[in-house]
Amino acid sequence: MLKDIIGAKTGLFADGVQTVLRGHENRTRRAVLLKGNLVQNSRSEAAGISARVNSKGTFGFASIAEYTPEAAEKVIRAATENARFLSRHSGRNIALPASAGTGTLPLNGDITDAAQKDIIELCQTIDGYVAAKYPDLTSRTVVYSEDSQDRIVYTSDAFNGHLVTPRCYVYVMMSAETKDGVPVEMFKAFGGYGSFYDNFSEPEKLYPGIDQLYRRLADKKEGVYAEAGYKTVVLGGMMGGMLAHEAVGHTVEADLVRGGSVAGPSLNKRVASDLVTMVDFAHTYNGKPAPLPVFLDDEGTKATDAVLIKDGILVGYMNDRESAAEFGMAAAGNARGWTFADEPIIRMRNTCILPGKSTVDELIASVDDGYYLIDSGNGQADLTGEFMFGVTCGYEIKNGKLGRALLDTTVSGVAFEMLKTVDMVSGEVEWTSSGFCGKKQPMAVGMGGPHMRCKIMIGGR
Amino acid sequence: MELRLAADYLDGVLRDLGAEKYSYTLSQSEKQELNLESGSFKLMRTVFNNSASVKLFAGARMGSASGNDVTEDGLKKLAQEARLAAESASEDPCHDIAPDQGKAEFVQGVTEPDMDAFIMRIREFLDTAAREFPKVKIMMGIGSYDRWSWISRNTNGTEFSARAGQYHFSIEICASDGKKTTGIDYTGFATKTLDTPFMEMGDLRRHMEDVQNSIYPETLDGKFEGTVIMTPGCAAEFIYMTLSNYIGDSVVINGTSLWLDKVGQQVADEKLTVSLKPYDDRIVMGERATGSGFKSEDVTLIDKGVLKTHWLSLYAANKTGRPVVKNTSFDLVVEPGEKTLEELIASVDKGLILGGFSGGQPGTNGEFSGVAKNSFLIENGKVKCAVAETMVNGNLGEAFRHIRGISKELLIDGSTVTPYIAVDGIVISGK
Repeated sequence: MLKDIIGAKTGLFADGVQTVLRGHENRTRRAVLLKGNLVQNSRSEAAGISARVNSKGTFGFASIAEYTPEAAEKVIRAATENARFLSRHSGRNIALPASAGTGTLPLNGDITDAAQKDIIELCQTIDGYVAAKYPDLTSRTVVYSEDSQDRIVYTSDAFNGHLVTPRCYVYVMMSAETKDGVPVEMFKAFGGYGSFYDNFSEPEKLYPGIDQLYRRLADKKEGVYAEAGYKTVVLGGMMGGMLAHEAVGHTVEADLVRGGSVAGPSLNKRVASDLVTMVDFAHTYNGKPAPLPVFLDDEGTKATDAVLIKDGILVGYMNDRESAAEFGMAAAGNARGWTFADEPIIRMRNTCILPGKSTVDELIASVDDGYYLIDSGNGQADLTGEFMFGVTCGYEIKNGKLGRALLDTTVSGVAFEMLKTVDMVSGEVEWTSSGFCGKKQPMAVGMGGPHMRCKIMIGGR
Repeated sequence: MELRLAADYLDGVLRDLGAEKYSYTLSQSEKQELNLESGSFKLMRTVFNNSASVKLFAGARMGSASGNDVTEDGLKKLAQEARLAAESASEDPCHDIAPDQGKAEFVQGVTEPDMDAFIMRIREFLDTAAREFPKVKIMMGIGSYDRWSWISRNTNGTEFSARAGQYHFSIEICASDGKKTTGIDYTGFATKTLDTPFMEMGDLRRHMEDVQNSIYPETLDGKFEGTVIMTPGCAAEFIYMTLSNYIGDSVVINGTSLWLDKVGQQVADEKLTVSLKPYDDRIVMGERATGSGFKSEDVTLIDKGVLKTHWLSLYAANKTGRPVVKNTSFDLVVEPGEKTLEELIASVDKGLILGGFSGGQPGTNGEFSGVAKNSFLIENGKVKCAVAETMVNGNLGEAFRHIRGISKELLIDGSTVTPYIAVDGIVISGK
């Protein structure tokens, strides 16, 4: 855990500008077993200090890979000088956003380190389970990956705080062959917010999920290509989360709205059926911690929920302080940097489409000829809202019943058109937080969604 | 602490820990970065960073640790972390470090920047863009100068050190006529000189033209099997996916590679030659040392369609009994073909110019499926229109076995040297 050695340096903040000073440490722990071979076994810690200065809409940023009081002084001076230097070239003259209050947030938790020996033993235990129970697999990989963050933030006119974000996962990947000798693969992530001992003290709790993964892979071995075209589908909760993040979330990030995203002219207009409400949660969902709680962002904005779509109407964006002032909205704490060397930019936190009232069985039973798309390995979206997700697990639906499994495919569409086709929404939410979002810097994000019936383009051969 | 002194100190720490076999790399870096938003300078970013990574062996057990604290205390902690990691590992004699490569010092790129000239080139680019491409919006631009120095040693006697620096400029663009906006397009380049206006570097001009011509894309009806002409950037992406899928460490160790026993055999059309050439003059910051500690070498992976070698690290080579490739870069050089881009387009009855592929990494079977981005429909040998909501599906291995042609024109962006590649048999589907 970082000790607060930077708070005493706020007296160096220049007048007439907005300054944020941040001490930040990223810690990673990683072990990879490939077919039982320990191919990666690594530990990493990187800490430093950064300062960002806003001078009439021109920003200076500086960081040093040292966590010392002297480094704090240097970055404040360098960031201030960078802002002054660039203002001579930028021509920007934007009023500084008003303060939304000041104060200090309490430390939200702790990061407990795990011995590498325990990490490796966990991977070996899981790998041993998979190898013994499923000897017909052509390959198996078990990955332990932890990336925890510890940050201390001091600001000139916003909130200060010391926040930690521990997260760790085990990824289990399985490979098998179809009867024609074609490889098929599937993976599943376990874990989430918390440290090693919070999430993995009882490895046997992972076994039901591993068994389900194997069953789905066995189905996929007999899988078929989806028929390409515009189809009625039931999107599983993980796909719903991907939709919330990729297809809608990025288009309503205010920096992309400024760039010309489809969300600009769509504000206060219908962009989805009235069954769709979507929120970027800060730290709490339904009275419980969200997958990756954010209490304070790297501009010192105290994090609150950002309601994006309400009953099908686009009602808000995700903002930093500057864009919030520009669009007349309240900043909700979306400006985050991944390492000490990264300036805060607008990022999602826990983006989720809210549940409805139907059951999953009702959704599936309602489809005569379509697909049930359960899991996605990746996704991308565009300013226009055009998106694609890779589908790694899915099934045919014929006459309301699940049919054959699908080989890997892709779905695509235009978000604000596709969301208008949502006509049934299930009553529970599935969350995931194991991935990274890429937008200049990586960022840990949470995403979630219910099952939804809708129409979507699906790829095939 | 000066890097060589830090290295000497770290050697002492590791010896005191009783380590008999190890390798490490220490580096210092500096970044001066100018960020553009909506066509004007918004942020100036200065980053001073360090890194230190140690790979340490306890008998046949290997552990590694890394961090950015190169003070004496930081290096002590790092060495201890690496030792603990090694002692926690299971024995695997396939982990190793390269044999003695001797001593070498490398100087690459430009180690003293001219930031005034760099800013001038960026401003010139913005002026040119506004004048020639009024409908194109520079949503984001990043101009950075990066400088590194590093030292790497191992207990077999190797010592490499380097000083290097490069300019890099990248843009995110879209186009709008006030009513309708295109999707995002990206491009960029690395350079060691500022002799040429940035609009003429890499593929920037073509991207600006393409996005300006994409404001009103058309959607296609149904699906057809056609020819896809991959733009150089897109071709590089598909080649990377192919190499990872068929000849990389994981799939060879796993035995799941479909090219496991194909070395010496034809795996692609004979028009395709793919090399990794870190010493090519067109590559600005070519790799000089591999992760295992070999001095990097130029290597041809596919020669006239014949697979010459798998692309294996020292560990994977030891694990599988196959030869190591002394190149862990993606300093890609693809040999040009004999037709111009115009001739390639003229030869296509129906297909796409594929400017970008929005899809995930295909599985080991090579099946790919994704959205065609920044792409144009070709009909009867002519470019007809930009397309939207169009998907492309195919198989990596099959695609490169059915190459219609490769262009004479090459994209040289400082990191890769790649032509346009036209492949047949791709399923293209619209709504």
